[in-house]
Formats: sequence, structure tokens, C-alpha cells
Amino acid sequence: MSKEELEFFFNSSDFSIVGKAYEWEGENVVHIHTDKIKHSFGSCNDVLFLKEDNDANEGLEYLYVVYVSKQNDEITAKVHSKSFEVEVNYIPKKQELYSRNKGILEVNVLEEKRVMIVGLGSFGSQIAIELAKAGVGEFSLFDFDRVELHNLARHTATVKDLGRLKTDVIEESIKGKNPYACVKKYAININEHLDLMEDEVAKADIVICATDNNESRFNLSSTLVHQKKVGLFGRAVTRAEGGDVFRYRPGGPCYCCLIGNQWFGLSEGEVSNVASARRNGQIAAYVSERDADAFVQVGLSADIEPICNMMVKLALMELSRGVESGISCLENELIYDYYMWANRRERRHANWAAMPGAGSKPTIMRWYGAHIPKNDNCSLCSDREVLLDEGGTIRSKYGDMINLDMSGLSVEE
Amino acid sequence: MTPERLNLEKQVLQKEMPMVQCVFKDMSTSEPYVLMPVKTNIGKVYTIRIDLKGFPNQLPHAFVTKMLQTKSGRSMNDASAAMHTLPTEHGYTRICHYGSSSWTPMVSLFKVYIKCALWLNMYELHLKTGKDMDYYLSHQS
Repeated sequence: MSKEELEFFFNSSDFSIVGKAYEWEGENVVHIHTDKIKHSFGSCNDVLFLKEDNDANEGLEYLYVVYVSKQNDEITAKVHSKSFEVEVNYIPKKQELYSRNKGILEVNVLEEKRVMIVGLGSFGSQIAIELAKAGVGEFSLFDFDRVELHNLARHTATVKDLGRLKTDVIEESIKGKNPYACVKKYAININEHLDLMEDEVAKADIVICATDNNESRFNLSSTLVHQKKVGLFGRAVTRAEGGDVFRYRPGGPCYCCLIGNQWFGLSEGEVSNVASARRNGQIAAYVSERDADAFVQVGLSADIEPICNMMVKLALMELSRGVESGISCLENELIYDYYMWANRRERRHANWAAMPGAGSKPTIMRWYGAHIPKNDNCSLCSDREVLLDEGGTIRSKYGDMINLDMSGLSVEE
Repeated sequence: MTPERLNLEKQVLQKEMPMVQCVFKDMSTSEPYVLMPVKTNIGKVYTIRIDLKGFPNQLPHAFVTKMLQTKSGRSMNDASAAMHTLPTEHGYTRICHYGSSSWTPMVSLFKVYIKCALWLNMYELHLKTGKDMDYYLSHQS
């Protein structure tokens, strides 16, 4: 329990209240709170909170009774248990939670920051928790999916979370690291709520795009440009043989400008499950169920960790930008728009040098950064004339096979 | 679709097909679409419907505004790699014109239209020769 909870009860007009005790069988550990909390499990019992001068007989039916008193302005609690002797420890105060980050991160600054995370799969879940551990104070989370068995190998969710909404699971994980965090949850498909996306991007200090489909990436990219906000886009490529991270900063190239980049374009995003790949068109409708399974080629959790980690570092650096801190020096290092990582020398990385003796040649398990040229005619981010793809390549390839002289035609409605 | 993008699309269509009537329908609703006529090489006229929900950030669904049949008389209402079709919507044959991974918001409606016109010409070749449309058209990721 926290002293804030006890203080709140002590200053209320109630003589007693019933709270919750979360207990782990055989461990003689009990977590006691005045209210039901989001981030605990174990067996749950009612617990009676009493102001010290009240009648203890009231508590006879309860397994635990907490006597709250105040002496010399200091709030204290004594816990009476029917099963074991209880030594009371309090949840650390907000300012004590991240004392170990001090000197590296400006915790007071991060506490005021709001991070929007779209997609709470193996990427989004890990990033959310890492940012909570760093002391970020506010989150808005978007994902309409539930935790399934195949998620468990790479997701932060555990067996006890099967079937639950990912937004609820990650909220609990965040609050488990920072009980003071403020979390807003949206278990919806963001592509169908573009006005809400606009509002939430406007409120966010940084947006993490960890989705598995281009539609949401393009929608977020348009909104980031419009709202002049920083955004990070990350993905693993097939079998997580590698991955990449793209950072949008206002005025710079957007995600749409990245699409024409040769390294980015060479690889397909990882297909991690058939249902979502069907939904977003990565697996075409005409592919049979049996063949669709062959598309699912996921890598190890350890393969995507470095990519998540890079996104976390970039996010912390952006959130701390302009504030003197232990990570300010990264502003001189992480200057690129696009970062690429390879886990194994296979497929598109097959010709890379082996790590021993690679010298200046590209090799695995190192980050490579690149500046991406801004497309001056981009339909999402350019303030100049937009030049769309009008099908010149198709016409030069198939022009003699089709007659595009449709003069005078009208539609049959 | 933003008004700016709609204007841009109309400009491209006007530039490329000045004499063709394209009809934008239900543009203020959540299910906007455009109807565009196509005349094939053998002179047959079809209407293409392109659904604009989510366009341009979402790959648009494209249809021939009738249910076509293969040479063998089978209704083209389902997903077929050989015939470049996807499951029907609105009771129309749906054309597989783009792979989702290849789609970008830079692609114009006119390009989608060209691909649909190409698909219809290959459909007629299929009716003539009996060869799958896959024989004439390549696939895209």
C-alpha cells in the first residue's frame, strides 16, 4: 500500500472502508490497497481499513485489518493478520520510483510526457513497458486485438492473459512499473477513427507506430505531418532476419518518402499471423489456408529486441531533446532518418561480411543509419506541387495492349 | 479523401482522359466511390467502380459493375490467383489490381483505372483463347 492511499482514507469522513488484499499462496506476502488495483494478481480477499480509534471488533470477519493512525504528521499503518505476522512496507513515492535513472534521464521531464503507441504486439508491448520503466508518465494505447497463444513467445503477455484485450494487459504492465502512470486505452481499429487519431496525435509528445499494416502507417504519417509531431515506425522483416526503424521529424521526409528507398523496399514486412495478414492484404484472398501458413515466418523474440530497444532509445532521446541529461549526447549520434539492423546473414543480408574481420563492410548485429531524401512532390508531406504516379511504367510496358482513347464514353449508372 | 487530393485526381483524369465522363458518388459519406467507363480493344464498354473509402492511404477496391463469367461459364465472384480476382462485393466482380505491400498514397486513381482497363482487355483475351489471365498478367507483392 502507499502512504497516499492511507492519507486519503485518514482524511476522509469514513470511519472504516473495505479494501483489497492480494496474496500469493505460501509466500507470506500480501499486497494491500484501499481500492481494487490494475496490476496485481494472486488470490484476492477483502481487507478492513480502520482509523485507530475505532472499534476493532468490526474487523473480526476479515483476514486482514489495517489500523491507520497519524502521529507527528506521519501517517502509519499496522496490519493485523489471522495467518502470519505482517511487516509493513510502503509503495515508494512517485519521486522515489525512478531514483536509479537519475543522472541519465531527466525523470521529472519524462513524467510530464505523453506517448501514443499504435499496435501492442511484440514491438508495442515491449516499448510501452520500457518507456514506463524509464519514467514516462502518460500513455495512449491503441490495439483492437486480444492475446492469443501464438503471441506468447514474443509478447510481454503471459498465459494468464490469454484472450484478454492487449490494451488492458499493457495498461496493467505499465501500472505495474509505474502505478502513477496515466493510461488512456482504445481497443479499436485506428484506421476507422481518423478524427480520434488526429486528436490523440495532437496531444502526444511522440507517436510510436508498431502496427503490421501500411494503411495505419500512412494514416499516422499524414497525421504526424499535419500535427508537426515526431513519430517512430519500426518493423521486423521476414523471419526477423533483420529490421528497421524510421523516424519522422517535422519538416523531414515522411514514411511515404521512405517507400521508394531501395533498402526499405527490398524486404517484406514480417508476417506474424495469418488472420492479421489476411486482414491487411499481406496474404492475398486467393491463397489457400494451407498455403497461407507458409507465409507465417516469425523470428525470435531476441531478434526483435534490438529493434524495440532502438525505438526506445530514439523515443527517450526525442522526449528529452533540449533538456540537459545523460542521454543528450545521443542527439549527436542518432541523427539519421532511417536505421537498419541485420540479425543473420541470410536472404538480402547473405552477402554481408562475417563479423570477424568485416572491417568497413556491413555485417550483422550493428546499426546502420541513413539520411532519406525528402520527396519534394510527396502527396503526404510536400508543400510543393504533388506529382502522383500516373502509371507511366504500366503504359510503357502494356501500352500497345490497351487502347486508352475512351473519347465520348459515359458510365452506366 | 481530402478536397485537395480529390481536385488533384480530377485534374489528372481531365488531363489524361478529357472526353471521358467519370462520376464521383457519395463523396460526403463514409462509402464514396467513382464510376469510370472503359472501352476494350474489341469495342465492348464496361463500367469500373473504384471504392474510395480510406483512399489514398488504403488500397482501393476496384470492380467491374457486373458479375462476369469465365469462358467455361463460372461466375467470377471469388478470389482467384489465375484470374486476378478477389471475393465479390456489391454483387460485382472484384479486380485484384495491386498487391497491398506495393500500394502507396502516391498512386493515382488514373493508374488504378489503367490497370483495370488492362485487366478487362486480358479478360477478353481469356474469353477468346481460354487461357487463364495469369498467362497475360504478372503478379505483384
